[in-house]
Amino acid sequence: MKRTGPLFTLLAGLLLALFMLSLNATTGTEPASTSQADTPADKVSPSPAPTKAPATPTPSPSPSPTKVPVPNADYAGRTDDDSAAVSVSLRNGRAIAYFCDGRDKESWLKGDVEDDGSMKLTGKGGSVLNGTLKGKGIRGTVDIEGGHYAFTADKAVKPSGLYRATATVRNAEIDGGWIVLSTGDQVGILNRNGKPSPAPRIDPETGAVTIDGELLTARPVTP
Amino acid sequence: MTVDPNAATQSFPPRPPAPGGPSAARYLVPALVAAAVALALGVYGKVHDPEGTAFNLAGFSSTGAVKSWLATAAFGFALVQVVSAAMVYGKLPGPSWSGTLHRWSGRIAFLTAVPVAVHCLYAFGYQTYDSRVMWHSLLGCFFFGAFSAKMLLLRWERLPGWLLPVVGGLVFSVLTIVWLTSALWFFRTFGVTT
Repeated sequence: MKRTGPLFTLLAGLLLALFMLSLNATTGTEPASTSQADTPADKVSPSPAPTKAPATPTPSPSPSPTKVPVPNADYAGRTDDDSAAVSVSLRNGRAIAYFCDGRDKESWLKGDVEDDGSMKLTGKGGSVLNGTLKGKGIRGTVDIEGGHYAFTADKAVKPSGLYRATATVRNAEIDGGWIVLSTGDQVGILNRNGKPSPAPRIDPETGAVTIDGELLTARPVTP
Repeated sequence: MTVDPNAATQSFPPRPPAPGGPSAARYLVPALVAAAVALALGVYGKVHDPEGTAFNLAGFSSTGAVKSWLATAAFGFALVQVVSAAMVYGKLPGPSWSGTLHRWSGRIAFLTAVPVAVHCLYAFGYQTYDSRVMWHSLLGCFFFGAFSAKMLLLRWERLPGWLLPVVGGLVFSVLTIVWLTSALWFFRTFGVTT
């Protein structure tokens, strides 16, 4: 009960941890751009973010008196009939969504998000997503190729979310889309020259995926 | 563990001896603190909504690279720890300053590991979606608990001779697994980049 050195060591570590934490908290979302330098889409303009950014652990859905824009976040979930997955990525009032059944039916949809959290996104072939952001999730429907699907997508935390890889491998145009669900399950479709097929798994943390013997990187998708 | 007959005349530093006798407290307090630290980190990692990102250091391509290099540095100092501990215990021939070497390499190792842990907990949280990640989360929290216990145990003069080597060895082993499941994985997946 004499030595105080070890106590100082622990204390120094604690102080350092608190210092780093406060640095993280105060710098907020802005440095997100530096840590993901290779995705320029992530360089969000600082306008709407800082008001929401500093750690509010309970994103209350209550409409506050000031106009609060829809927070930047990703959402992922399944359709009610469990036949397909839907993921939506919101950035600065714009949204991109991916609907995918893991076999041959897929669609990328884009559009704006209203301040009340509602959105109408449209994709190729007349596919439409209608959804509303409420609390921690998006509830909505997708109409695609004559099918009508209701879905619920909860807030997705990395590595779950929406990924895409495009490349040319052996003269074939490769376009793959993946939804990584919070359970770790993946739903994806790989198009070779426009022909859809089930996609191989990606490494959710790195996005690494081997397609026809070539190592590609699927990147998070943002509007 | 008997009470030191000289205790009454000894001049203690400001901190008084724990009430209820030191014998139980000297093991119980470190054990409880260790459990509390590990649990607190795990709970924070689970409850706190992961931010996905945190600030980055200039000169590195990604936070993953920064963390991997910091963790590798910490692991390097941890290796120094093992060697210098063996010197202190006379298992290896060593210089007279091997005790100082042990103390300071340990401090540096700890202080380089802290920012890594802060980033892990702040940006990713406690995750279990595959076995590598699960073990990393679990043992990462465990490491800081075990390290706290080791530091608190060090404060006592007379401990069973085997205790510190065992706890120290445990701390080192856990750090090794934590490093293998993160930095080594990072370097193997992305290549050894800055």
